[in-house]
Amino acid sequence: MTTSNPASGTRHAARAARRAAGPAPAVGPDSTSGESPTRSVPVIAEGLETPAGGRRRRGPSERNRPLWMLIPGGVLMVIVIIVPLLLGIYMSFLDLDQYTLRQWIEAPFIGVANYIEAVSQTNLFHGVWLSVSYSFIATVIAMPIGIAAAVATQNAFKGRALVRSVFLIPYVLPSFVVATVWRTMFQPGSIIDKAFHVFGADPGLFLNGPNTYWTLVFVQIWASWPFIYLLALAGLQAVDHEVHEAAALDGALWWKKLRYVVFPYLRGPISLAFIIGMLNHINNFTLPFVLFGIPAPHDVELLPVLTYVTSFQSFRFGLSAAMAVVSLILIAIPLFIYLRVVKLDDAEQGGRK
Amino acid sequence: MTATMATRPGGTAVVDRPGSRQQSQVTRLLPTWLIALVIAALALFVLAPVVYIVLASLNSDISVARGDFWPAVFTPSNYANIWTNVGLANGLMNSILVAGSTAVVSAALSIGTAYVLVRYQFFGRLTIMRGLLALQSVPGTLLVLPVFVLFSSSATYLGLQVIGTRWGLFITYLTFALPFSTWVMVTYLRGLPRELEEAARIDGATSFGILTRIILPLSWPGIIVSGIFAFLLGWNDVLFASVMTNPESQTAAVALQIFATSTEGGAIPYYGQMMASALVCAAPVVILYLFFQKYLVGGLTAGGVK
Repeated sequence: MTTSNPASGTRHAARAARRAAGPAPAVGPDSTSGESPTRSVPVIAEGLETPAGGRRRRGPSERNRPLWMLIPGGVLMVIVIIVPLLLGIYMSFLDLDQYTLRQWIEAPFIGVANYIEAVSQTNLFHGVWLSVSYSFIATVIAMPIGIAAAVATQNAFKGRALVRSVFLIPYVLPSFVVATVWRTMFQPGSIIDKAFHVFGADPGLFLNGPNTYWTLVFVQIWASWPFIYLLALAGLQAVDHEVHEAAALDGALWWKKLRYVVFPYLRGPISLAFIIGMLNHINNFTLPFVLFGIPAPHDVELLPVLTYVTSFQSFRFGLSAAMAVVSLILIAIPLFIYLRVVKLDDAEQGGRK
Repeated sequence: MTATMATRPGGTAVVDRPGSRQQSQVTRLLPTWLIALVIAALALFVLAPVVYIVLASLNSDISVARGDFWPAVFTPSNYANIWTNVGLANGLMNSILVAGSTAVVSAALSIGTAYVLVRYQFFGRLTIMRGLLALQSVPGTLLVLPVFVLFSSSATYLGLQVIGTRWGLFITYLTFALPFSTWVMVTYLRGLPRELEEAARIDGATSFGILTRIILPLSWPGIIVSGIFAFLLGWNDVLFASVMTNPESQTAAVALQIFATSTEGGAIPYYGQMMASALVCAAPVVILYLFFQKYLVGGLTAGGVK
């Protein structure tokens, strides 16, 4: 048995031997349905499997599953993510400030008072609106940039590898570095201000006042278009060569080919990029925090910044927890769409690398 | 072009040859002038700040403040002064220790978890996979306070001082890295053939033996990607590090942030040193990226998440 070669005809013999040897430790859905000759396409079989099917096939042969390997990661995630998540929701119902924090377990339970205060007496709605609108604008503007870059670098040319590396620089740089650099460039009298003056324009301050919102949108676009570029590139690679040939045979003009032949292929990856972009931008704390500092100017008092300031500047921890719960509700919408779109057991996804 | 293909029935074979002139003619999407325009515009967009940071890091503070692009006087001493003024050495050391150990441990844990999720059927498997995706999007601002309180309570009730130590950051980053690292490994392990594992199983290998002797040697590209993302998570974080560290355990990100805000109160901030520090903080990440670029780009599109 030790000489069995899984790649050849001895496979059947090996499987027969394994069956004879009693409970097989391998429990993939395709190995329990081992009678089928489709051994060579296990991933497809996995893709067809349903949770109900998995449960149905459970049997004595599955006793040796090394489920203990899930424990270390599982324990950590429960202690450092799930428990704090629930604790955060619980805290939003407590009257928690710097005096009660030390004995937080005994802090008075005040029901939804924090939520009422957050809605009526703080800039919560302002922050929610800023977060959502800035995320949306930045994602929507980054999209054509990323797609254009992908379309332009799709064909081989000398130096393409270099161009791709350059395009990914903003993606690679840490957020806090990006924010520090732009903060310096946007200082009054500094290089960007000076450049505007060369053209006779006086836009005013970038890091204070009403311009801050657009400063943030601009820097966010600079930082996140390469992500769209990456996903669009992966989408372009999925276009069949036959499709290109057919378009060439028809003599399609380049913009018609783009519009009617290539873009439909990008719909999937681009929607995914849109949702993930929205999630990342709504949750982004580092960029506004480092770019504008604390306390943030009124026009960039995004929800994450507002939550942070309420906690660690005003020490209204309960109120801040209520705001954080609002941000959880806010990301629940794109997250829900994301979880529906992503195929958990898709064979194609694994093959894409 | 069209004529060549029409007259030759076997023409597709020629056209399919990668890199051949015909192929790039067929698959090209834009006219050459437009390709050149797009690439030039975007390269300028990306490189302008990058070149600026390099030049400004060699510039004097006054020259940066009045908006010079080219340094009036080259001031390489910026790179010498940051080690005493910014506290960067301590910060970099902490960042390397915390992010590095996060990378190693998270890669090790995620390969085991991913292996079980990919190769075994059990109740709740799809729920766990969905959870891995969902947990990546939990807002950090929601978790930072409860994690802080939980870790402080461990000092009060268990006598374990976590806040202010590198351990606290390590545990936090490790846990936050796990969902994505595991997801990257899941997509990678799916692509591995099962035949080797089955042969080993017939030879009597245990599941753990299969993981360490067969899966592990085959999975280096996936392990590298998931490790690097864990490293980046620790390296790039400001939110947790700003709350959970003291001057002794602060990371490079916090050191830079504190230096930037403290220096701006005075007359002219130390712009040159600030840019030099930013460049030094970016260097390890850029080097990692250059080394592993090939794997990283693939892992990114597979994981689909930053």
